[in-house]
Amino acid sequence: MQATNHNVNGVNLKLLNAAIRFNALMLGFTAGTLAAVVIYSATQVSIAKWGDNSGNYLGLLAIFFPGYSVTSGGAWVGAFWAFIYAGTFSALSYRLYGRVLGTRIADILLSTVPTENPVLKPSVLRLHGISLGAAIGTMAALCLFFSTSWLVVRGTAHESIHAALFSNYLPGYSVSITGALLGAVEVFAVVFIACQLLASVYNKIVEMRHKKT
Amino acid sequence: MSVAAGVLCALMLFLATAILLLQTVPEGYPVGPHLSTLAHYLPGYEVSWYGALIGMFYGFLIGAIGGFAIAVYWNLTHYVALGVMLISSAELAD
Repeated sequence: MQATNHNVNGVNLKLLNAAIRFNALMLGFTAGTLAAVVIYSATQVSIAKWGDNSGNYLGLLAIFFPGYSVTSGGAWVGAFWAFIYAGTFSALSYRLYGRVLGTRIADILLSTVPTENPVLKPSVLRLHGISLGAAIGTMAALCLFFSTSWLVVRGTAHESIHAALFSNYLPGYSVSITGALLGAVEVFAVVFIACQLLASVYNKIVEMRHKKT
Repeated sequence: MSVAAGVLCALMLFLATAILLLQTVPEGYPVGPHLSTLAHYLPGYEVSWYGALIGMFYGFLIGAIGGFAIAVYWNLTHYVALGVMLISSAELAD
């Protein structure tokens, strides 16, 4: 009996891990494409609106997007990097969310009754705020730490007046390794709270809709 | 997802403006000169209490559109991927 249960759990865990990998890939592709569209559009709007004077702020992206500039060609380069960064961030966030959530996934299923047609009318999953906050918070904290560290490593920390503006929102943050560590902790807290809010609003609406139907 | 993302973005833009307004700035210095450049993309937005409310409206709009786009695109990619899987498995069964 125990051996049978172990096998069933093994199969379920395998299926769960495969679903997490698949969803992570899909989310990476989705978020990456949307980010690419946003950067491409923002660059084109900037060119159309200000012509040769465009790119005062947007051009700063070149620090993280090698080859990027506020030009028609640069818009494609920006779209490429946005796809890579947002895609990687989203896919890793989802993988982490899946890992933190683990087998508790059954608890957030809105209805345990199987649907008649799982393809056309799939079961709805609620969001697990704590797991979501932990996953996206960790990723955001790592992003802030590595992007600040990059400014320090390339030797332009003292010129990075725009990055230093983060201290308006993250007390104690500065463009230094210590500031990056402090900022990372604070960003984690902010993103964690934001995810709780997102999850609670999303879950409330999903439950209301479910009751109606 | 639209409403949830909209509420979150609205609150974020409102708080981003409000935090700058609550900080002390030396007399004669502009408040939030960098954040106010958002007005290039969001007409009417400014770093003031009135602008914070306008920012809230824009935040909701951007979040809702973004959330909707992500949800639609996410569902679409899943349907396409699942469709491809179903067709391949049917072909394998044949």
